Amino acid sequence: MVRMCNVRSECASVTRGEEGAVSGVVIHLPGCRGDAQGEPGGDAVTLRLGPGEVARFGRGSATTPVELRLDDEAISRLAGEIRVTDDHWQLSNLSATQSYLVENPEGAGEYLRVPPRRAGAPIPFEFSRVVLPTRNTTVSFQVFAPDHVYLDPDGPHGQWGSRTVTAYSLDETALYFLILVALCEPRLRDESPVAVPTTPQIVDRLGNHPACGRLTARAVSSHIDYLADEKMRISAPAETAPRREARRNGKREAIVGLVLRFGLVREEHLALLPPRTGAAGQERGTAG
Amino acid sequence: MHGPADTSGSDRAELLPPGYRVARWEVTGPIGAGGWATVHAGRLAEGQEEGVPGEESVALKVLPTAGLSPHQARKVAETARREVEFGRASSHPRLIRLLDTFVLAEPERPHLDGAIVLVMERAERSLRDLLATGVSEAEGARLVTEICEGLAQLHRSGWVHGDLKPDNILLMADGSAKLSDFGLVTQLTGTHGTHGYAPPMGTFDYLPPERWKAPLGEQGVEIRPSADIWALGITVHELFASGASPFPGATPMARGAATQEYADGRAPLRLDGALPPFWRALAADCLAPTHSARAPHTAESLLTRIAERPMSQASPAARAAPRRGRRRAAFVALAVCAVGATLWPHFTHGTGPGGPNAEPPGRIKVFNAEQSCRGRSDRNADCSLGLAIDPMRPYTVDNVVATRVWHGDELGVDCRLLLGMPIIDEADTHSAEWYRVRLPRADAGRGTAWLPAVRTKDHPSVPDCPAPTPTPTG
Repeated sequence: MVRMCNVRSECASVTRGEEGAVSGVVIHLPGCRGDAQGEPGGDAVTLRLGPGEVARFGRGSATTPVELRLDDEAISRLAGEIRVTDDHWQLSNLSATQSYLVENPEGAGEYLRVPPRRAGAPIPFEFSRVVLPTRNTTVSFQVFAPDHVYLDPDGPHGQWGSRTVTAYSLDETALYFLILVALCEPRLRDESPVAVPTTPQIVDRLGNHPACGRLTARAVSSHIDYLADEKMRISAPAETAPRREARRNGKREAIVGLVLRFGLVREEHLALLPPRTGAAGQERGTAG
Repeated sequence: MHGPADTSGSDRAELLPPGYRVARWEVTGPIGAGGWATVHAGRLAEGQEEGVPGEESVALKVLPTAGLSPHQARKVAETARREVEFGRASSHPRLIRLLDTFVLAEPERPHLDGAIVLVMERAERSLRDLLATGVSEAEGARLVTEICEGLAQLHRSGWVHGDLKPDNILLMADGSAKLSDFGLVTQLTGTHGTHGYAPPMGTFDYLPPERWKAPLGEQGVEIRPSADIWALGITVHELFASGASPFPGATPMARGAATQEYADGRAPLRLDGALPPFWRALAADCLAPTHSARAPHTAESLLTRIAERPMSQASPAARAAPRRGRRRAAFVALAVCAVGATLWPHFTHGTGPGGPNAEPPGRIKVFNAEQSCRGRSDRNADCSLGLAIDPMRPYTVDNVVATRVWHGDELGVDCRLLLGMPIIDEADTHSAEWYRVRLPRADAGRGTAWLPAVRTKDHPSVPDCPAPTPTPTG
């Protein structure tokens, strides 16, 4: 039902790595296949905006440039604007008639309606899907705000402004955290000092969790990428093996090593995982 | 001899009751609670002999480990280990001294059992307590000097503080400043000792811009002495601006975002007008946006600079520079103030002494980006604008002619320089262009001076200027 085509952007190529990581927000428009009109399919677009930066979205034209082009005739040439403010972002709805929805894909139906002409509505979600209505379907894109800050659980109460805090904080209620705990589980239980679970093992392990009924392997991989690239900005040791799989494993091991070392995932978090079934218990030590 | 029974283990500020004996010391009362520690005041118990001067009155920093998971306990132990290791390796009058350390064995009091206690010299208060009241320039100068001495010592011996902030700068009974809280100190490693790796922790308001993007590696986050210099810049600003951060925002996250906007070149550095010119320039250098731009400003070099600051700037007279209540927009990284502003009743143009026999090829009107200055014609000193002597040098007080100009003034212009010192005005207009303008009246033997192109809206068609030769300071 979701259609996203022919998105063009001035910054379509994204550089990653030590200097490429930027704090702020990440906007992601999945690509799509060439459509019936014979137009070439749009590439997936990832835009990174730092604090104070703005991205306009809409159908665009020569006189109305937009950073994110949404090619649907029901969408205004200049449909709206995303502005990064503090650790979150604001959505301006520049349409005179259409309301936009901002959904929290992890929020059990949590969403905001941004009415027409609303300027600078603050968006509180770390993960958002912005949905624009079109004639008989919708167009959407995702916005991630990885800079949200969570206070340390063991810190003192009261004034927190000038307190020393962990600079890489995680939302312990997010799905990515659950996946992270599952990744760390063997080491936290001192079962396997080396092996980190594979993606299918994670899908299996979280299968009984109410939030993970439809968890796919692809979703697990993208959550791990998000953790490594946007949240922790992990500088993984250079991999010699050219294989993608080896690189992925290197990244997983790096994440697990770091979060355990710096105490971001601890024994008490094991309680977040669903109880282990007998079968899962027997698999111990076979990971890898 | 133990004091009254502890009523609540969760009230961490009262972890050790008054009268509680720890080795040679006796607790006298609570001081405060930080991240993982509570701090108590203590004194040498009766009948104990003072071994080292300063032991009579101490601070007992208690890091409880009871009830923590093994990982949390490890984190606490790691913090304590850093403090102890550092305390053993360094002793300097500007660093709070670690006198002793031990682990409590209190099987009867589970919440105290296994707690790590660090015994340190006691301060009277922290610099944070002083911020709200503000300091005189002389007092501020002394404090910054002492902080720099502490930092210079740290950096010289191969450490980075990693969490410098007014809360961790303590003031002793005699008013002198000492650095404290070495839980995040990091030893410089690498072949050239240029950087070290710190745990991924810090205080948002004092983190340099590069830390917001720093990758987390196996050993932690890379940290260099320039991170302490950035934190020093924030601290200097807070000290002279009654506790105000140089970056706008209601929360530490908002100020962190503003820090990055500045570092990415999307916003100028706007230092508070309350900062005296010398300290304003020094804070601006400490707050250079990148590690490499900050690197030349070491704690050592700052100390020299402070010691050699011109007497006119050390004297109270320098504080007569105009101050306005509201925040004043400033040129990026440059201290500009209306020193030497003269009221000028008869503004004439035309035959300037620089070219009495040649009519200038063009004319420009001066534009003031401050809107409140555009509507007035009283030639108020606060609304005056300076003309530079040398457009290739920083646009600072020692590089302007005595002649001031105001919005709407018309000046004869000889030529245009495309690449001078880049200037950003109050409305964020950037330009490296300058115009050589005729002075209406000879000024210290000069017939011309330089107006930044951001100070006019005109685009006269004038020839390009020949590259200027360096001018000796007037």
